[in-house]
Amino acid sequence: MHGRGGQGAVTASRIIATAAYEEGKYSQAIPMYGTERRGAPLTAYVRIDDRRVRERELVHNPDISLCFDPLISLQQAVANDLKPHGQVLLNVPFSPEKSELAGNINIATVDATSIALETLGRPITNTALLGAFSKATGVVKIESVEKAIKKYFPGRLGDMNIAAVRKSYEKVSPWVPAKNKVAPKMQVDLNVGGYGTLKDVSSWRVFYPVVDEEKCIGCKTCWIFCPEAALEWKENNKPAMIDRACKGCGVCANECPVKAIEMKRVEGA
Amino acid sequence: MSYEVMVGNKATAVGCKLARVRVAAVFPITPQTTITEYLSEIHASGELPGFEFVNAEGELSSQVIVQAATAVGARSFTCTSGPGLLYMHHPMQETASKRLPLVMAVVHRGVKSMQPDHSDLMSQQWQGWLHIYVENAQEILDTTVMAYKIAEDKRIRLPVAIGYDGYVLSYTAEPVEIPAQEEVDKFLPPYKPMPSILPDQVDPKTFGAGWGEGDPMKPWQMHHEAALNGETVIKEVFAEWGEKFGRTYGNGMIEPYRVEGADCVITAMGTIAGTATAAIDKLWADGKKIGLVKIRSFLPFPRKDFQEIAKSVGAIGVFDRSCQPGMWGPVYHQMRSTLYDEDKKVPIIGFIGGLSGKEVRVGDMYKIGEKTLKVAKGGKPEAPIQWV
Amino acid sequence: MSTQRMTRAQVPMEEMILAPGSTCQGCGAAMAARLTFKVLGPNLIRHGIPCCPDQVSKHPRAGAVFEGGGASLTGTARGLKALGRTDVKAVGFFGDGGTYDIGFQGLSAAAERNENILVITKDNEAYMNTGGQRSGGTPKYAETTTNPVGPNSRGKSEPKKNIPMIFAAHYVPYIATASVAFPEDLMQKVKYAKDIEGFRMILIQSPCPVGWRFDPAKTVELARAGVQAGVWPLYEIEHGTTFKLNYKPKELKPVSEYLKPQSRFRHMTEVEVNEIQASVTANWQRLLKADEMKTVVL
Repeated sequence: MHGRGGQGAVTASRIIATAAYEEGKYSQAIPMYGTERRGAPLTAYVRIDDRRVRERELVHNPDISLCFDPLISLQQAVANDLKPHGQVLLNVPFSPEKSELAGNINIATVDATSIALETLGRPITNTALLGAFSKATGVVKIESVEKAIKKYFPGRLGDMNIAAVRKSYEKVSPWVPAKNKVAPKMQVDLNVGGYGTLKDVSSWRVFYPVVDEEKCIGCKTCWIFCPEAALEWKENNKPAMIDRACKGCGVCANECPVKAIEMKRVEGA
Repeated sequence: MSYEVMVGNKATAVGCKLARVRVAAVFPITPQTTITEYLSEIHASGELPGFEFVNAEGELSSQVIVQAATAVGARSFTCTSGPGLLYMHHPMQETASKRLPLVMAVVHRGVKSMQPDHSDLMSQQWQGWLHIYVENAQEILDTTVMAYKIAEDKRIRLPVAIGYDGYVLSYTAEPVEIPAQEEVDKFLPPYKPMPSILPDQVDPKTFGAGWGEGDPMKPWQMHHEAALNGETVIKEVFAEWGEKFGRTYGNGMIEPYRVEGADCVITAMGTIAGTATAAIDKLWADGKKIGLVKIRSFLPFPRKDFQEIAKSVGAIGVFDRSCQPGMWGPVYHQMRSTLYDEDKKVPIIGFIGGLSGKEVRVGDMYKIGEKTLKVAKGGKPEAPIQWV
Repeated sequence: MSTQRMTRAQVPMEEMILAPGSTCQGCGAAMAARLTFKVLGPNLIRHGIPCCPDQVSKHPRAGAVFEGGGASLTGTARGLKALGRTDVKAVGFFGDGGTYDIGFQGLSAAAERNENILVITKDNEAYMNTGGQRSGGTPKYAETTTNPVGPNSRGKSEPKKNIPMIFAAHYVPYIATASVAFPEDLMQKVKYAKDIEGFRMILIQSPCPVGWRFDPAKTVELARAGVQAGVWPLYEIEHGTTFKLNYKPKELKPVSEYLKPQSRFRHMTEVEVNEIQASVTANWQRLLKADEMKTVVL
């Protein structure tokens, strides 16, 4: 299960594990150990079996891969190492035929971000993907998912999440074999967690700053407040985003005294 | 060379001065306290130029202070006893994991009493330090200087703890020969940290390295191998000391006493090994051929030496001055593990004594010798492990 | 006291951090690290203890156990002195847990010994690296993962420890508070503290979008609101007595403007907000008096 900190992938893994137990199966939900940061890609794993799961190594060759994030859904890494004919369920606003993911895999898609925004008002996509998961894979029934959700989100919040589940159950696409069989050589490594300096955090962004050089007065306010030194100060006395360093927090746009920075949504996000 | 009648704790302080320790951070605890006072006097008198003396607010901080000082390249020293050592437990693992070659005196104090036993230092076996146990004030002074040479050796780069018994040694006065400073300087060169963390000497490529990259087990393997190298390095350093200063302590790892021609041996560590020599003399006088092996280095354990000794003796009686409740004595276990694969099976019997400062007398060691000899002659021990 | 004020044009362009770091989006502590190390330059050994990752800087690093910040800085400073390398500074960059709580004993002792060290605390008011548990730096009524709100709990029930005043009471050369929303003031203080001999401490309030629960774009806005409301006043204290308030608006903004955008305070009733307002106002009056008298008033 691939997502990013704040999207609820870990909670989703526990909801699936709970739903499986509701159906008389044993289950196990493992979060990727290490440091979880809001916005940073992360992985969680679920095992379901008829008896108590004792194996505790991470899942290296999954049957199913779930992607909670639209940008991560574009990365080949989420389809690698699947078992032959493995299933990849993506959160993207397009049909599975359009996915470039490669391999001996089947792909289904659902626009979980839009569903989450409609039902929850926030792009927390975990439950908005679980209905699609239930319908497409048949691993757990939608009733069990709903029961499990009530355990995690009581009251009104639970009802909103159940609405998201039902909507995604209806909207998920059928399975389609991947059109590409061979994976590209150049791939983005999703594993950018941990401590220290990171090579590239461009995958963290949902929004990115765009500077209107006409409006910009060159005051350096954006530059001084950037937590990542991700704004380069150019010779013309204007800022520019450093692609690999910007996490898309939006502090620069918020602080700009003349509103010369706009946070634009990354295409497909 | 000069001499002075001094207590064990003063021998430690003089050893530090001879080793030209640059930073000492200490916190007082009985029976270590007077080391801190002697060191403060050395600082106040100005006799050791450039010496920084820190009155820490507790043992945990004293350990961390000498860690950081060693990391920047200052030869450093700290000392403690019993509960103070337990309080240091957390940073001690870091001292060793960061491969910082400092020296610490552990003046034994038990964990159930203020009186000495080895339960304090024995409880720190997993920290990755080298542990050397010494018997008298002269050995304290000599070993303190040698410990820096061992710790700083590039094959080791690990901290060394020198353990000695509280009161009967820490506060007991005896004549101690003091080697000349110039001679010690020739023996122990100034300390150079590896790698340096000074901003103008450090490799800038190390900045920003991610956390947990590479095989996480590799540092453990390297640490383990460095500790095992102690067996070689300790012997080398002690041999050099013997050559230069004319005083030897066996081969550094062990110090045998009347082992040649003995039917069996007993082992002991620290002051009790000294008391045991008197018992050994009596046993030989009574026609009972029993040797003594004083174990100086417990970590690393003198495996090769005991595998050799086991070939010529009929039994080994192991004396432990600590007990891990439910698991008996740590020296006993090491000995049995060391000799398990030997073709010739030598009976090993354990004796636990001297806990919480209970006095161990010549007569006690005499009886241990007799009991071991009985087993060497084919008799059955009363019990595999006995309380003395 | 630092008499000069830094201007935007004087802020060094060179970055001393190796970004991007592994912090969350909009991390206040990352800002604090970036600004601090800009002025400190290269000739220092940076000390770390377990805390949120903030930013990696181009400095050699000495790490210590969580409780060992003060002792580790002491050892470095003394070792450098023994080696005659006092040109190299010993600088700590710690969190509030390592300053207010588990690291307090060692730092207090280092302050009492007036060790030649610079301690910078990025105060994000809880144990954020482990997911946001209460610390001695957590303010009253804040909800944390170990102060959940429920029938028996209104969030944290005690006020934030007054750590700058506690350290000032060690009579050390320099104590200052700073905020990421006032970068020139922050950097001027770091620059001034850098070359003072003895124990120096700067506490930087560093909002945490995840732990305080607000939109990451609002980190600076919120830090500014905290200063403007008098919740996090900016001041300097020298030798435990001389006092100077660095930011004095004619009128404080209401604390509700600071509390409201943060979900950690969303359960607060009007009565509770008024209680905080009263204590902030009283404290502000004391600080104004202290500023006027140029001496600490407790």
